[in-house]
Amino acid sequence: MNNARLMHGMHVVLTFLLLIIVTLPIISLVVGAFTQQMPWPRLWPEYWSLRAWEYMISPTSDVGVAIWTSLSIAAAVTVINILLAVPVADALSRYSFAGKTWIEVLLYAPIIIPAFVSVMGIHITFLRLGLTDTSFGVMLAHIAPSLPYMIRALMISFGTLGFEWEEQGRMLGARRMQRFRHIVLPHILPGIVVGSGLSMLVSLSQYLITFLIGGGQVITIPILLFPFASGGDPNIAAAYTLVFAGLAAAALWGLDVLLNMYYRRR
Amino acid sequence: MWPKSKPYLMSLPALVVIIVIFYGGLYEGLIQSLGYFPAAGQSSFSISAYTEILRSSDFWLSFWLTLRVSLISTMLAAVLGLVMSICLFMLSKTGSSRWIPFWRRWFQLPFVVPHLAGAYLIVLLFTQSGWLSRLAYHVGIIDEITDFPILVNEPFGIGVILAYTWKEAPFISLILYPVLLRIHDSWHDAARVFGANSLNFVKEIVLPLLMPAWFTASFIVFAFTFSAFEVPYLLGVTYPKMLPVLAYESYSGDLADRPEAMAIGILIVLITAVIGVLAYRFGRQWLTASGRGWL
Repeated sequence: MNNARLMHGMHVVLTFLLLIIVTLPIISLVVGAFTQQMPWPRLWPEYWSLRAWEYMISPTSDVGVAIWTSLSIAAAVTVINILLAVPVADALSRYSFAGKTWIEVLLYAPIIIPAFVSVMGIHITFLRLGLTDTSFGVMLAHIAPSLPYMIRALMISFGTLGFEWEEQGRMLGARRMQRFRHIVLPHILPGIVVGSGLSMLVSLSQYLITFLIGGGQVITIPILLFPFASGGDPNIAAAYTLVFAGLAAAALWGLDVLLNMYYRRR
Repeated sequence: MWPKSKPYLMSLPALVVIIVIFYGGLYEGLIQSLGYFPAAGQSSFSISAYTEILRSSDFWLSFWLTLRVSLISTMLAAVLGLVMSICLFMLSKTGSSRWIPFWRRWFQLPFVVPHLAGAYLIVLLFTQSGWLSRLAYHVGIIDEITDFPILVNEPFGIGVILAYTWKEAPFISLILYPVLLRIHDSWHDAARVFGANSLNFVKEIVLPLLMPAWFTASFIVFAFTFSAFEVPYLLGVTYPKMLPVLAYESYSGDLADRPEAMAIGILIVLITAVIGVLAYRFGRQWLTASGRGWL
């Protein structure tokens, strides 16, 4: 009994400690974003300030454009990833065929192998094709690091879908598209949502490959944040970081919440 | 239609896209590292970029720094992530179920925060004028701003390690948590019947079950921290640079340095590929046994 109490005590202490580790940076971020040059020993601001946010909504900052560019690139990457991943995830998890392992290895490698080396290599070709300095080029560069996550999420969904339902549908006279729309799609929808969240997150987080291909012409949130974070105005940097992290969290969790609401309504 | 070709046809679009934009880029990087770069008037192949790099002390300094930073970050993240997943698991056994999803998401927060943003959080928290130094003053540990140690932008890479540990521990716990959820209460009872106490139970059943997933997750974190750019670019120092930063800086410099820059990139690719193979070896058991792998 004493042992159990000790375990419980340890659990409470450790959980609390972890909570502090996770939360402390967030608190300092919020304080930073809503103050103005707080002098050193002060822990808590004397007065709060919206200066960083005023700067952000002023026309001199590109934050509106940057949010729009970030989100539209991430959304386009995600749509392309869904179109590419649905058939291949189906093949990899429901069919057995020679060379399957190799295809998996080729497709998963970008999780481990850094995309920036590939982007440095392909830059010269993108330049020749006129894809540098364009959002389209940046979007193409974001596909490789994000596609594996979409494929993985969809493979898990396809793994629990046998062929029986589709057989039944076929016997009842459902056409290919009808079978996909009414049998396969509802089953893999959670996988699509998880994969889309991860794919958006990966795309939104890219700094280096966006900079390499975008050449500073394609302004996304991380591109805008960097000069402030590396020795610029700390309050504006904190505000940008808050927007950046909020955008990423909304992208990852927003779709999930929408899906749950959709299920609850049905 | 020839039925056997169906899965290949289904794989084709994704394969073509990845081969062209990812492996195509790596291939172009490789031939540029071998000195084939018509834009700079070089159209012959040689391995001089590699011999030059492997002979330069700057490269080796960067290499050891990168190896040390990523090893320490990985170990810290692995331990913290394990503790985190066990805490969450115990919370799900004892706490009220309504709050579990909330706490799980809260602990996942660092995973969601992009690396550049995570790096900046470390700046806010750990610089000499940062939040922790203020906290230390109020607690009475330090009297002057200069009493607080320099933890960011210093040559050992402490700031980088802190950022990676904070970011990757939740990633590890995200992978371990579902594995833990497969442990049924009945197993604990059965173990007790055979005379095992809680510690035995953890040692004999929980840890062996976690091992493969834990190793794979750690290898992924190691490969990532070895090859990621954003965090060391913001939190590192100009000398010695971590390898990805070294590659980028020589890439963005003189065109004549392009082969060396690409050679460093290709070496990073080779090293991470080896780590990837190890991760796959260790993780195969876990990947196939459950069929659900990560996430």
